[in-house]
Amino acid sequence: MTLADVELVRFTPPAAERDGTSNRARQTAHALLRRPGFLIAVAYVVLVVLSAIVPRLFTSGDPTQTAPKDKFLAPSLSHLFGTDELGRDLFTRMVHGSALSIEATAISVGLAVVVGLTIGVVSGYAGGWADSLLMRFVDVLLAIPALLLALAIVTALGFGTVNVAIAVGVGLTPGFARVTRAEVLRVKTLPYVEAARSSGAGPLRVLRRHILPNSWGPVAVLAVLDFGTAILAVSSLSFLGFGAPPPEAEWGSLVAAGRTYLVTSPWLTLLPGLAVGAAVYALNHIGKTFEELQRWH
Amino acid sequence: MSRQHRPAFRRGALATLAAAALIALSACGGSDGSSAKSDGPVQEGGTLRLAFNQDVYGNLDPNQNFWIESRSIDRNLVDSLTDQDPKTGKIVPWLATKWTVSPDAKTYTFTLRDDVTFSDGTPLDAKAVKTAYDGIIKLGPLASLGATYLSGYKETKVLAPNKVEVDFSTANAAFLQATATTTLGILSPKSYDIDPKKRALGDFVGSGPFTLKSYKVAQSVKLAKRKDYAWGSEINENRKAAHIDALDVTFVPEESVLVGSLTSKQIDVAWPRNPLSEQSQQTITSSGGKVDSTVLPGLTYNLIPNLKGILGEVKVRDALQKSIDRTEWAHTVFGDKYPVTKSVVDSTTPQWSDQSSLLAYDPKGAETLLDEAGWKKGSGAYRTKGGKPLEISLTVAAPWAGWDLLQDQLKKVGIKLTQKVVTPAEYTAKANAGEFDLTASYFTRADADVLRTFYDTNVVKPGTGPGAYTQDPATAKALSALYAQEISEADPVKRKAIFAEIQKQIITAGVLFPLQDRAQIVATTDQVHDLNYTAETFLRLNDVWLSK
Repeated sequence: MTLADVELVRFTPPAAERDGTSNRARQTAHALLRRPGFLIAVAYVVLVVLSAIVPRLFTSGDPTQTAPKDKFLAPSLSHLFGTDELGRDLFTRMVHGSALSIEATAISVGLAVVVGLTIGVVSGYAGGWADSLLMRFVDVLLAIPALLLALAIVTALGFGTVNVAIAVGVGLTPGFARVTRAEVLRVKTLPYVEAARSSGAGPLRVLRRHILPNSWGPVAVLAVLDFGTAILAVSSLSFLGFGAPPPEAEWGSLVAAGRTYLVTSPWLTLLPGLAVGAAVYALNHIGKTFEELQRWH
Repeated sequence: MSRQHRPAFRRGALATLAAAALIALSACGGSDGSSAKSDGPVQEGGTLRLAFNQDVYGNLDPNQNFWIESRSIDRNLVDSLTDQDPKTGKIVPWLATKWTVSPDAKTYTFTLRDDVTFSDGTPLDAKAVKTAYDGIIKLGPLASLGATYLSGYKETKVLAPNKVEVDFSTANAAFLQATATTTLGILSPKSYDIDPKKRALGDFVGSGPFTLKSYKVAQSVKLAKRKDYAWGSEINENRKAAHIDALDVTFVPEESVLVGSLTSKQIDVAWPRNPLSEQSQQTITSSGGKVDSTVLPGLTYNLIPNLKGILGEVKVRDALQKSIDRTEWAHTVFGDKYPVTKSVVDSTTPQWSDQSSLLAYDPKGAETLLDEAGWKKGSGAYRTKGGKPLEISLTVAAPWAGWDLLQDQLKKVGIKLTQKVVTPAEYTAKANAGEFDLTASYFTRADADVLRTFYDTNVVKPGTGPGAYTQDPATAKALSALYAQEISEADPVKRKAIFAEIQKQIITAGVLFPLQDRAQIVATTDQVHDLNYTAETFLRLNDVWLSK
C-alpha cells in the first residue's frame, strides 16, 4: 500500500470511491464464483423465489384439487412428491405454498429492516434521551422470546399470512435496531463524517450520503440471515395453525398436516420439512459468505 | 356385548382382526409353550393404562361435565338409577330394581336396591336420590346438560327408604334414558354440600366400581378398584368388583404419539376422539394390537347453517344438501369401511331412522336448483348473482383435511366454501352468537331427544347455541310441535315414529346437513380382553381384564 492510498481511504468517503468500485466488484464476483456451495445455495433460493412469483412455471396442477382415489401415493414420476390424504399432488401444493411462505417472510423481513433501521439510525445519530428511550423499548422487545412474542401478536391480530408476517417482523425488529445503532455510532465519529459536517453539510445530508451507505453492510448480512430465521418462524406459526386459512398450504401447515401419517407416508412431512430446512440453510450460507467477504475488504 | 349393535361392515374387519390375533398368538405360543386363548380364563389384577385425547374443560364432576372423555371416566366412579343395553338400547335395572312411568310421562317411581353404599360408607337410599336430583337442579347453568335432561322437573318425593318418585310439571319422556347417564349419576349426599368448583376437581363420592385416587387437570386421572362393589347392572358379565386393580389415564392429543405409545406398549388402550386414520389402524394391527370401532349414538357430525346469511335461501340450502358426497367423504377421510351417515342422528341411537334417500349425492339436481335461484355459472369456477359470488363461510376451531374435501366437493357445483379457522375460545363465542354461515357440531346421547336439546328453538335461544339460527319461523313452529309430542309420548314405538318425522323434516327443511356417523375407535394391545362400552360408547371397566 502506498502512502497515497492511505490518504485516500482516510479522507474520502468509501461510498464515493468511484474508480475503485468496479475493480472491487470484479474481485468480489470472482471470489464468490470460486465457491460452489454458495452457487448452489443461490440457485436454490432463486428457484424458490421464482416458484413463489410464478408457480405456473413449475406445475400446471391445481393445489386444492382433490382426487380421493389417488390418496397416499408415494413419490413417483407422475407425482414427484407423492400425494396427500385427499389425493392432492404434494409438489403442486408445495410450489403454490412457497408463494405464501415467501410472501410472509419478505413482509416480515421488510418490516423488520425498515422499522429496525429507522429506530437504529435515529437512536444512534440523535443520541441522548431519544437513544435511551428507543433502546429501552428495544430491550423490552428483546427480553421476550421472538416466537413467543409472535404468538401473542398473531393471537391478538387474528390468523392469516399477513398477520403472521407482521408478528414475526416485530420479533425480528430489535436485532436490526441494535446492529444499525452500533454501526451508526461507529461511523458517525469517523473523520470523513467530521469532514463532511465541517464543510457545511446538514444533518440529513450527512445521514443520507455518509452514514447510511457505510453502516448498511452488516445490516444487509443480518437481513439475509434473518430471512432464514423468518422462514422458520413463519413456518412454525403456520405449523401451529396460525397461517393462511385452509385449503391454502404454507410449508409449515403441510408439515403439520402430514405428521399424522409420519410412519406410513413419511414423504408428506419430510419433503416439505426438507424444503424449509434447505431454504434456511441456503440463506444462512449466503449470509455467512457475504459476512466473510466483508471481513476481507 | 355390543357386537350385534354394529353395522354389518364391521364383521369383515372383526374377522380380519381375529385372524391377525390368531397369527400373533400362534407366534407367541411358541415362546411360552402354552396355548393362549384370546378370551381365556379371566386373570385378576393389573393396572390398565389408557390414553384419552384431551381434558379441555378440566371438570370431572359427572353432574357438571359434558365432555366425552370425562363422562367415560365418570361412568366408573358413579352409578345411575338405570342402565342402558348397548345391544338393544333398552333401559335395564341398576340402582333401581324396577320403576313405573305414568302414561303422561310426568311421574316416575323407582324402587331402589337396598344393598348399595357410596364409597364413603353412607347408604344409597331414596333420600340420597332426592338430594342428588335437587342438587343437579341447584347447580343451575353449571349443569347445563343435566338441566335439559331434567327439563320440567318439579320435585322428588321420598315415598319409602327404598322408594322414590320424580315429578315433572311438563312431560319428559326422555327422562328414563336420562337416568341411565352419568349426567344424572347419583353422588353421595355430602358431595352436594361441596363447592361445585371443588367437585369439578374430583372432590365427590360415588357408588361406582372404582374410586378416584388422583386427578391432575389435563394430565392424569388415577382410579382404584372398590373391592366391596357388588351391584353392577345386567349388561355386565361381571357384576362384582372389577378384575383390574386400577386405571391410569393420560391425555395424548397427537395421533402419531398415541399410536406410538400403544405399539411400544407404554399404554394398553388408545381412546382417541376422532377416528384413527386407516394408516394408524394398520400400524396397530400389524404390531399385534386390536382395533375396535363402534358407532357413537347421538347427533351425527352435522353442518349447522345460519339462516341470517346466504343460507337463508331455501334453494341454496337444498342445493347444499344435494352437493355433499357423503360416501366419498366417509371413505376418503376415514377409510373404505367407515359407515356412511343416513340421518342427523347416528345409526346406534334407538330412535334412528334411515333417511338416506333424502341424502343422496345429486350434483345435477343441485346445479338445477342453483340455476333456478338465479345463481348462474359464469366464466369462473364459482356461481354468481348480481356480481356477488355464491360464498359460504365455514367457521371451525381447527384445520382439518375433511373440510378441504368438502370445499372441493362444493366447488364442483359452483359453491365457494371458505374456511374460517378460529381459536377454540373464539369458536364457542362465535357459534353461540350466530357469527357464521356454516359450522359443525355433534353430541353423544343414546336418545334422539338430543335433537330437542340442541335444535328446538324453544330450548336454544340466540346467544346460547348455534342451533338457534337454523330454522325459519314456520319450520321452527312445526318442529317444536313435534318435539312437544315426542317428549310427552311414553310409548317408545310411537315416540320412535315421531322421531322419524322429525329427522325427515330436519333434512328436507335444511336445518342440518349430516356429514358422517361418528365412530369411536378404540385400540388396545393384545393383553387387553373384554373391554366393553356403555350404550353411549363410554368406558365400562367391569369386565375388562389383562393377560400377563
